[in-house]
Amino acid sequence: MSNTRGLNRRDFLKVSVAGAAGVALGSELGFPAIVHAAKVKDPIKIGLQGIMSGPLGAYGEYMKKGATLAMEEINSKGGVLGSKIEMNFRDEELKPDVAVKNARFFVDDWGADFLIGIDSSGVALAVGQLMAELNKILIVTHAATEKYNEGLVYQKQIKQCFRVSVPVYQDGIASAYVAKDLPVKTWATVSPDYEYGYTSWKMFKYYLKELRPDVEFVGESWAKFGTTDFSSHITKVMAEKPEGIFTTEWGGEAVAFVKQARLFQVFYQTKAWMNPMGGAMDVLHGLGKEYPDGAWVSSRYWFLYPDTARNRAFVEAFRKRWNDFPAYVAETSYTAVYAIKKAVEKAGTLDVQTLISTLEGMELDRPAGECVIRAEDHQAVYTVPWGEITHDPRYPMPILRNLKVFPAKEYYRKPPFPPIG
Amino acid sequence: MVGTLLYQGLVGLSEAMYLWLVAAGLSLIFGVLRILNFAHGSLFMLGAYLAFYFIRLLGGNFWVGLLLGPMVVAAVGWALESFFLRRVYHLDVAFQLLLTFAFVLIFDDLVKLVWGPLYQSVATPAVLSGAVRVLGRPYPVYNLFILGVGALVGLGLWLLLEQTPWGTVVRAAASDRDMASALGVRVPRLYTAVFIFGAWLAALGGALSVPVHTISPGMGESIIIEAFLVVVIGGLGSLKGAFLGAVLIGLLHAYGIMFLPMFELALAYIGMAIVLIIRPWGMFGVREV
Repeated sequence: MSNTRGLNRRDFLKVSVAGAAGVALGSELGFPAIVHAAKVKDPIKIGLQGIMSGPLGAYGEYMKKGATLAMEEINSKGGVLGSKIEMNFRDEELKPDVAVKNARFFVDDWGADFLIGIDSSGVALAVGQLMAELNKILIVTHAATEKYNEGLVYQKQIKQCFRVSVPVYQDGIASAYVAKDLPVKTWATVSPDYEYGYTSWKMFKYYLKELRPDVEFVGESWAKFGTTDFSSHITKVMAEKPEGIFTTEWGGEAVAFVKQARLFQVFYQTKAWMNPMGGAMDVLHGLGKEYPDGAWVSSRYWFLYPDTARNRAFVEAFRKRWNDFPAYVAETSYTAVYAIKKAVEKAGTLDVQTLISTLEGMELDRPAGECVIRAEDHQAVYTVPWGEITHDPRYPMPILRNLKVFPAKEYYRKPPFPPIG
Repeated sequence: MVGTLLYQGLVGLSEAMYLWLVAAGLSLIFGVLRILNFAHGSLFMLGAYLAFYFIRLLGGNFWVGLLLGPMVVAAVGWALESFFLRRVYHLDVAFQLLLTFAFVLIFDDLVKLVWGPLYQSVATPAVLSGAVRVLGRPYPVYNLFILGVGALVGLGLWLLLEQTPWGTVVRAAASDRDMASALGVRVPRLYTAVFIFGAWLAALGGALSVPVHTISPGMGESIIIEAFLVVVIGGLGSLKGAFLGAVLIGLLHAYGIMFLPMFELALAYIGMAIVLIIRPWGMFGVREV
C-alpha cells in the first residue's frame, strides 16, 4: 500500500486489518488477501464487439444481452472489489479492419481494461494479433478457429488472448463422433467460403475417416458470405447423390439454406443433415416449424444442458431480463464477464501479466457446466451436446432431443497440436 | 451429363428472375427518365420488408403480402419521383447519384428503425413447397413459380410497351423528350407513371424472395450492384438487354459454382468487361452519337 495519502483514517484501518488477515491467510491461499480491500479501478471497463447488423446480426445482439445481464448482476451485488463494471458495444461488421479499429478505440480512446466478443474467425485472428501491442486481455466468446488458440496463443505466445466459447473442435471433431454412428457412407458439404467453413470441413473429414474408414466425401460447394440463394450450391452437391449433408452455414444463411434445401427435397433424398451451428437460437426461431425433424445440430451451449441449478438460474434470469431464451453467445459472453470478475478478484490488480497467470488454469462454474481454461492455449474446455431437432409444444421454437454428449476433454485437440492430415 | 447441365441451368434461370425484375425497372427508368436510380435496390428491400409485414400481420397469407407490399412501394415510388427526383432531372448526373444514394442510406436506416437490425423470415406457403420431377431430379414448385412470374412480367412489359398506345407514348418520350412534349405528351406525368411502375417491379422481386430467402437491412445493396452489371451488359435502357443480361448472370452464377467455384464471383465482372470492350453501349443498348 504505497499510496496511503488518498485514504482516510477509517479506510486505513480497514486496509490494515485486511492486511493483517491477508498475511495470516496469504500463505495458505497462495495469493495475498491484502488486495481485497482496495479498488483496482472504478469503473472497470469492458469493450464488446460482435456482428450487430445484417443476416448474422442476432449474434452481436445476444452477446450484448448476455454480457449486460452479467454486468447488471455483478453491479447490483457490489461490483468487482467494489468497482462497477461499465460496458461499451461496437459492430465488428465481420471486417478485420473495422474490428481492429474498434479494438484500438476501446483501448486507446475509451480506456477499456478488457475486450470481449468477436464472431468472425478472421476478425479474431486480426484482433488477436493486435493484443500483444495493446496489452489488454481479449476473451473471445464466439469465433471458433483453431488458429486462435493453437496458433496465436500456443505457437506465437500471444498470451493476452483467451477464449471461453468452443473451438472448431465442436464443429469438426464432435460432429465426426456423431456421424460415425449414422447410417451414412457418403457426405457432401455446402459451407461458408472462408476460414471457418474450410477448417470445420477439413477436421470433419479427417476425424471421421479415422473413426469410419468406409465413409467417402463426395462433394463440396463454398458459398460466399452474404449468399441468399443456395439453389445452385444445393443442386451441385446433390448431383453427387450424397447420403448426408454436413454444413457450417450459420445465422440467416443457415435459415435460407435449410428453407431452400427443403424445396429441393434434400431431406427426403438424404439420410442425415448435420450443422454444428444449427442449434443456435436465431436459427431455431428463424426456421420454426420448417426445421426438419431429426436434423443433427449443435451450438456452443444448449440452454437445457446441463440440468443444473446454476444453468436453470441463468436461463431463468435471462428470460426474466430479456423475455427470450439465451442463445449460446449470450452464455459465453455472460461467462466472459464473470471470468473477468473472478480473475480480477483473485489477482487483485489489473496488471495484465498477473491476470494472465490468474486466468491460466482457472476453473469456472458457468451455466454451460464446469469448465477449465487450459493454461497452454488459453482455451476453455467444456462440454456441449449434439442433438436432433424436434418440435415440442412447450417451447416457441424447435428444441433438441436425443442428446449426444462427448466429454470435451477427450476430443479437444491437445498441445502440441499435431497437423491434420 | 447433359441432364445435369440442363438442370443446373434451369436452377440458374430461376435465380436470375429476381435480378430480372429489379433490372427491368432500373433499365426502364433509365431509358425514359435518363436517371440512374441507385436506390432501386432499396425498393427491392422495401418490397420484401412490406410483404413480410403484411404476411405476418395477416397470419401468414403470402398472396396478400405479395399484392400489398409492392403496392405500398409503388406509392413510395410516387413520392420519391414527385418530391425529389423531379428536381434533379436537369442537373448533372453526379447530383442524381448523390440524391438516390442518400435514399439508399435513408431506407436502410428506416428498415432498421422499424424492423430492427436482425434478419427476418416467414414460412414458405404450402402450395409452393413441393417439387416436380425435371430431368429425373426434384425441381421446386417455387422456382417454377418464379420462372413463371418472370416470364409473365417479360411478356406483359413487351405487350405494354410495343402493343398499347401508352407504350408508344413511353417510347416516344424515351427517344426524344422535347419532341414528345411538343406533340402534347404530358412528360412529367409520364415520368411519374414510369417510375411508379419500375418501383413496383423491384418490390415484386423483393416480395417474391421473402418465403425462400431471409431478409435483412442492406439486402438492397447487393442486388443493386448485380442489377447494374445486368443493365451494363444488356445495354442501358433496353428491356430485352436487361432480360438477357439477367439470364446470363444467372447462368454464369450457376455454372460458375459448378465448374469454376474459385472464379464464380469474378465471372459476372469478366462478362461485363468483355461486353464493354466489344460493345461499350451493351448488347442491346443504343450507341450514343
